[in-house]
Amino acid sequence: MTESAIAIAGLTYRYRGTKRNAIEAIDLELQKGEFLVLMGPSEAGKSTLATCINGLIPHFHKGKLTGDVVVCDKNTREHTVSQMAEDVGLVFQDFEAQLFSTNVELEVAFGPENFAVPRDDIAARIDENLTYVGLTSFRHRPPATLSGGQKQKLAIASVLALQPKVLVMDEPTTDLDPISKMGIYEITGRLRQRSDLTLLVVEHDTEEVLEANRIALLKDGHLIKVGPAREVLQEVDLFESLGLMPLGIARFFKAMGAETLPLTPEEAVAAYQSAGWSISGERYEAILERERQLERDVSAREPLIHCRDLEFSYPSGVKALDGITLDIFKGDIVAIVGQNGSGKTTLAKQFNGLLLPTGGEITVHGKTTREQGIFKLGQSVGYVFQNPDHQIFSETVFDEVSFGPRLRGLPEPDVQARVSEALAAVGLEGTEQEDPFSLTKSGRQRVAVAAVLAVKPDVLILDEPTTGLDYGEQRSMMEMVRQLNESGSTIIFITHHMWVVAEYARKVFVIKDGRVLLEGTAREVFAHEQELSAASLRPPHFIQFTNRLGKTMLQPAELIECLEGATA
Amino acid sequence: MDAELYLDNNTSYHRLDARTKILAFLAIFIGALMFRNPVWMLPTAALVLGQMLWARSAKNLMRIRFVLLVMSVSSLVLWNFFSNGTTPLFWIFEVESMYYAINRTLFILSVVTMGTILISTTRNEELVMGMIKLGLPYRVGFAISTSLRLVPTVAASLTTISQAQRSRGLDLDTGNIVQRIKKFLPLLVPVFISSIRNTNIFGMALESRGFGARSERTSYLQMEMKRLDWIVLAVALVYVVASIGLNLAGYGRIVGLTNF
Repeated sequence: MTESAIAIAGLTYRYRGTKRNAIEAIDLELQKGEFLVLMGPSEAGKSTLATCINGLIPHFHKGKLTGDVVVCDKNTREHTVSQMAEDVGLVFQDFEAQLFSTNVELEVAFGPENFAVPRDDIAARIDENLTYVGLTSFRHRPPATLSGGQKQKLAIASVLALQPKVLVMDEPTTDLDPISKMGIYEITGRLRQRSDLTLLVVEHDTEEVLEANRIALLKDGHLIKVGPAREVLQEVDLFESLGLMPLGIARFFKAMGAETLPLTPEEAVAAYQSAGWSISGERYEAILERERQLERDVSAREPLIHCRDLEFSYPSGVKALDGITLDIFKGDIVAIVGQNGSGKTTLAKQFNGLLLPTGGEITVHGKTTREQGIFKLGQSVGYVFQNPDHQIFSETVFDEVSFGPRLRGLPEPDVQARVSEALAAVGLEGTEQEDPFSLTKSGRQRVAVAAVLAVKPDVLILDEPTTGLDYGEQRSMMEMVRQLNESGSTIIFITHHMWVVAEYARKVFVIKDGRVLLEGTAREVFAHEQELSAASLRPPHFIQFTNRLGKTMLQPAELIECLEGATA
Repeated sequence: MDAELYLDNNTSYHRLDARTKILAFLAIFIGALMFRNPVWMLPTAALVLGQMLWARSAKNLMRIRFVLLVMSVSSLVLWNFFSNGTTPLFWIFEVESMYYAINRTLFILSVVTMGTILISTTRNEELVMGMIKLGLPYRVGFAISTSLRLVPTVAASLTTISQAQRSRGLDLDTGNIVQRIKKFLPLLVPVFISSIRNTNIFGMALESRGFGARSERTSYLQMEMKRLDWIVLAVALVYVVASIGLNLAGYGRIVGLTNF
């Protein structure tokens, strides 16, 4: 006995002032108690579809809507967002902007208050939902003092307090570190078992959608495919062609010519064993030897950035760095990883002199950052901030990119040359006269990188260069970064995306509580699954699978190279 | 980056009912309007200072010290243009107009300090509730508290943005004040854009949680007037009545002052 919780029929929507339909002719029905994951590249219309369900479209955003969305027998056209709120909860990606109360329990109380729920009942709902998401001990804390993962849990609790029948989450884990993500997925896992709750989640991370009943793939506003999760996840090629990340494990077995593809590390180990494959120790040793050779080459160079017992405390007294010792060598490509709030960004800001140490020592090019100062250091150490919108302010791409060189008093012909060069490096040739704000997120990210490149720094620091981009964009961003590295730049990037670390970083520093917890090549670091989880990190599924085979392989190609007893 | 306006000091002033604190604010506002003579302003200033120490809100005033300084200096000068006295001092300044300017400055400082104390000691929700209980519509109270809530958000994004620009070689630390302001202006573009974006999400989040769904609304937060509240209100009442009385009796004026 099932009945539909969400019925979308012939839905087409176009935002006011745009030329293209954001979503087109969508037909989708969700049964009561179902868990559907919506995936798609950037600009596919995922958020648009999500916001149609609680009536933000057409009531909050203006535009042209045809077709119908009926949720729990209410047509969204005829009910305001606030009226829909009793039936549909919506959790946003941005965990900062969706919380607005001064303490945790008032945040949860806000929804029920609006529906005039009696006070005692509200108290009961606060208890119940904070327990559900595991935030009971934080009930009197201001939300601003919670970690990213906790904020997102709070957002979920405050939506659940309305006792909705449908819960929509729009990329709830995009800005979170891997373990915080798992915390959210653990909650999703429990929610999914509630037969009275229908779940629709927009998600990028392929490894996290295995538990869904169905997956819907969206591109350019069209539904490409809807089907049972395990079935859809087998479609490695379709994922690649849509610009979505296929499962590493599925990719490997597909390359090996398997018919049904295992999806999880457990299944992969079983399939591997039953296939009777083994790893050639000799070939694996060859990979390691290549790596060791590279390590010797790199560390024979002069250290560009040199930290000894580096400490930093904010004026408020919070100690963010607590004795960091590390060397970064010329021409290297280095990843800094760690939980939200572990001190990664604070550390990176030491490298260009934006923050000065309160203890210990840091030198760049052999001189302390204090004696060089931010203006001078900025010339040799470029820093691309996480959010390009914090950086861009010009009316044209040209003005934006030429800002740095002009500030440094370069003659105009040189400025022109620098801009063209920088735009070519990021793949944005010919966009000089465009308005940077009209570009996509990944376009703006590239403008921000170009603006920093135009000053020709020796070192380029990128703070989460792939956050908010889809898989295809992440790849092309990182390919660009790799090329910059190959043409001589030293690269330091901060990221939460472990596959990016596995495929693009040579050296990795794992930061926890302001200290270096682990350091080594990507392979060495990912071999230490337990220590990593102490820093709230987790290797990608594919690496977990190979770890269980006793060797650490960073990507399918390596395992294929080492495999014995296989025919493919 | 800690930019919260509320200071979690938990003094007995913090624990006062929001209504009491709002009324104390209004009392100082009205009382201070009654005097022209700076000497007569001193008791009011003392009351304000006492509350500041009691509430331990000096930290927030220190944060806005630059604004306070600019306001004080310009007030000390400008009020001389708008008033005349009989005893010339120099240029446009007369003794009486100078007195008056000092008085106006004390008035502004008192009100700003009281406002700062109010928001440093009262949580957003309490402030909204206090205003509603005093008769303001919910939406108006909510709007006021929301604009206060924006301050730390905007301050935080301003910090990030100026860091981003300094990393690109923008030198915000040297030059005279005009040059610095000129360099600072372009930074407002990203500040505005990110604020608008945040406000947009905030609006969506509000509606998604049923803001304004019913005309009636319950409140989880409860307020209660305690003995200390009644004492503070009694003092405030005496203060306001005395100020008005003294004003009507002709005290607190500056002889020989004409103002426009």
